[in-house]
Amino acid sequence: MEPLLKVENIKKTYGKSSAAYTALENISFDIHAGEFVGIMGPSGAGKSTLLNMLATIDSPTEGKIYMNDTSIHDMKGADLTDFRRENLGFIFQDYNLLDSLTVKENILLPLAIAKIPAKEITALVNRIAKVFGIEDLLAKYPYQISGGQKQRTAAARALVTEPALILADEPTGALDSKSATGLLESLSELNENNNSTIMMVTHDAYAASFCRRIIFIKDGTLSTEIYRRGQSRKAFFQEIMDVLATIGGEVDDVI
Amino acid sequence: MTLFSLARKNIARNLSQYFLYIASMVFSIIIYFTFVTLKYSDAVAEQTASSQKLGSLMSGAAVILIFFVAIFIAYSNSFFMKKRKKEVALYALLGVRNRQIGFMLFFENLLLGLVSLVVGILLGFLCSKGFMTILIYLMGYDVIAPFTFSGAAVLNTSIVFLIIFLVTSFQGYRLIYQFKLIDLFHASKKGEAAPKPSMIVAFLGIFLIVIGYWLAMQDLFTSKVWEKIGFLMTALIILTTVIAGTFLLFHSVTGFVLAVIKKNEKWLWKGLHLMTVSQLLYRIRGNARTLTVIAVLSATTVTAGGAVYGLYYNANDQVMNVDPNTFMYQQTDAKSDQQVSAILPDTKYDENVEALSITFNTKELSEESAFDNSDKRIYTVIDERTYNKLADVQGKEALHVNHGKAVILDIGYDKRFSPEYKDKTIRTEDNTAITFQSFKTQTVLNAKTAGIAVVVSNDQFKSLQKEGEALNYRAIGVDQASVDLSEKISKQIPEEALFSSAPQDFQASIESVGSLLFIGSFLGLVFLAATGSIIYFKVLTEAEEDKSQYNMLHKMGVNAKEMRKSIASQVFVIFFVPLAVGLLHSAVALKAFSGLLMMNLAKPVLIWMIAYTIIYGLYYILTVASYNRIITQNNKTEG
Repeated sequence: MEPLLKVENIKKTYGKSSAAYTALENISFDIHAGEFVGIMGPSGAGKSTLLNMLATIDSPTEGKIYMNDTSIHDMKGADLTDFRRENLGFIFQDYNLLDSLTVKENILLPLAIAKIPAKEITALVNRIAKVFGIEDLLAKYPYQISGGQKQRTAAARALVTEPALILADEPTGALDSKSATGLLESLSELNENNNSTIMMVTHDAYAASFCRRIIFIKDGTLSTEIYRRGQSRKAFFQEIMDVLATIGGEVDDVI
Repeated sequence: MTLFSLARKNIARNLSQYFLYIASMVFSIIIYFTFVTLKYSDAVAEQTASSQKLGSLMSGAAVILIFFVAIFIAYSNSFFMKKRKKEVALYALLGVRNRQIGFMLFFENLLLGLVSLVVGILLGFLCSKGFMTILIYLMGYDVIAPFTFSGAAVLNTSIVFLIIFLVTSFQGYRLIYQFKLIDLFHASKKGEAAPKPSMIVAFLGIFLIVIGYWLAMQDLFTSKVWEKIGFLMTALIILTTVIAGTFLLFHSVTGFVLAVIKKNEKWLWKGLHLMTVSQLLYRIRGNARTLTVIAVLSATTVTAGGAVYGLYYNANDQVMNVDPNTFMYQQTDAKSDQQVSAILPDTKYDENVEALSITFNTKELSEESAFDNSDKRIYTVIDERTYNKLADVQGKEALHVNHGKAVILDIGYDKRFSPEYKDKTIRTEDNTAITFQSFKTQTVLNAKTAGIAVVVSNDQFKSLQKEGEALNYRAIGVDQASVDLSEKISKQIPEEALFSSAPQDFQASIESVGSLLFIGSFLGLVFLAATGSIIYFKVLTEAEEDKSQYNMLHKMGVNAKEMRKSIASQVFVIFFVPLAVGLLHSAVALKAFSGLLMMNLAKPVLIWMIAYTIIYGLYYILTVASYNRIITQNNKTEG
């Protein structure tokens, strides 16, 4: 099967030649449709740089990224925004909900931007709200709900257009453990039931243990890669911890 | 490092951030200084030695200016301080004492003030010549404006602004004491409750405005309401109801309208409409006060400017109405006639007018009139032939008067006070009855010389000759007569000739209205600039708050064009809804004003409103551009 996303020999450097700093080098991997991939690594490893490039917000110095065989960084202006709107969904660490919109309006915003007819919008919103268990909050404003509820709203917003790839940047970073578990369970359910493709950047091993495959980055290069396969989540968590211990991850973050 | 040098370095390093604040202060100082320079200037003083009015007008305007400039500076200061809360909090966190932070802000503010004062006075000095030229031109004088540097003006400006700066600096000093550290760090992060529009409040707002309008439209002289409540009280009630109504309007009605729009999901859920409407709804209630201030300021500016410009615009017509002949006087002796003829250049016409001065018994008219109850009035009587001859050279319609009838030429006619002339009969002392067939509000004889004229038929005139005193007038028409010529002529004829001159009257009215117009447009300019700046500050503060939201939209795949459109429509509402309300207020006020003066102000007022709207529109374009720049820049740096 053709991969959904193909990353080929990515290199990213910042600054001028003399004082150049290489953030990423020699990164190649594929993501197939229906995968739930975690990207892990210590601070400064280049996780966010990688995510930004996948999100087409930043472009690599060398190498190409293909999505469905289109090189995403050769697109320009309007094509790029269209591509982003049609193929990508974002979940941010700090939610980024619009305070002036209700939960429902926040969720339907991408649909409205994509010019989906109003008739279909309500049905779509209700369906995704049910998945994240926020049906009762639809009429509320962001300032009236908790952080976990906000993040679930943000996730619903990212997923309501059924994008080809969902990019999540430390989605549990600002959540308490109960809210985090709720969100992660919803995400992995969606991945299993709807075959959604999710890529999540995190440095939290617990959050990563919900993924089915984890790519580790260290000092700007690919370090290692592990698959969950048939393991229980607990066993997978242990495996992650072991890898982190060897590559020097932030183990102390987990407890 | 002393506090003073820290403050100084702060300014030097953040000059771009401070620029807007300094610019608004410098602007205020330029305006004020220029104005005071004009007030103290010898050129203006000499020219206006005759009219004391201008001096007191200038002083009054200066007081309004001080008041206004103080508010404006306080506003931009608070905007500026809001931006710096985080920095202040950081100092506190690093262990700088509150007192030291307070003093630092105090010095910094004072330093900024002093710098702006010097820059403002220098620029103001350069500007004053330009403004003086305009003033002199508007007043119809023929002198070249000099460069004057007035020590008194510098002193006056310095004192006024030092006081203002001391107060604002003290505000800066108090900043650190007013807020908790946590509030300083999260200056504007608190979520506001979404407004719940109330029908009752909305109706109350409209009701108040309607009351204000209704009162304003009442005729000042005849209305029972004005009489009962009293003039000052009524004016106060109008102001209060309209301002309060405007506030409630913005507070509730706009929210109400937006809430109704929000129900239309089909339209709303398309592109960024949802975002645009919600942002407006979210902000509008918090902004009700600002919007009201803008609407009231616009209304004041447009009303005052429109009224004065209307007077200026109509000055020529007014003079033409009062003085249909360029010059006119009562002939007394042949010698002065010859002397006048010697001075006169080419004339359009030079007519001798035979007239009669007759005292009439006007009992029938008196009953109608509220003000003038005298039973005897003196009218200047001319015959139909004379009227038609003058009407012809003056480009007026000819007239036919039946025997025993008359047409009265009353330029001061006002249906509220003047008698109803039609079909009324007046009698001479010998009991000859004359009935008015109609009246005209324009005349062919200069009113100052001949008073109110009555036109009778040619035969009637002959028979009346023995009943009145015969008068001979000389009516002269000259194209583009100068004031000089007028003065020369007036020297040749005696006082009792009742010399009247169109150029002189025009000069007099332009002199007073011209200075009014200058002060009006000067203040108008200031108000406009301040109004625009207030919105500019406000909108840009919001842009800073909202930039992360736009960044999110950017990531979501909204293209720059759609974002620009949404921003432009949001800012459009903030700008033009108060403008529309302000223009409506001033339209009503000016309607009342023109009714009071029996003058048609439609055209000058429209010109004035359009001019105002255009400058205001420029502010809008500037604001949208700055907003877009903030958003685009943030999208670029944030990814």
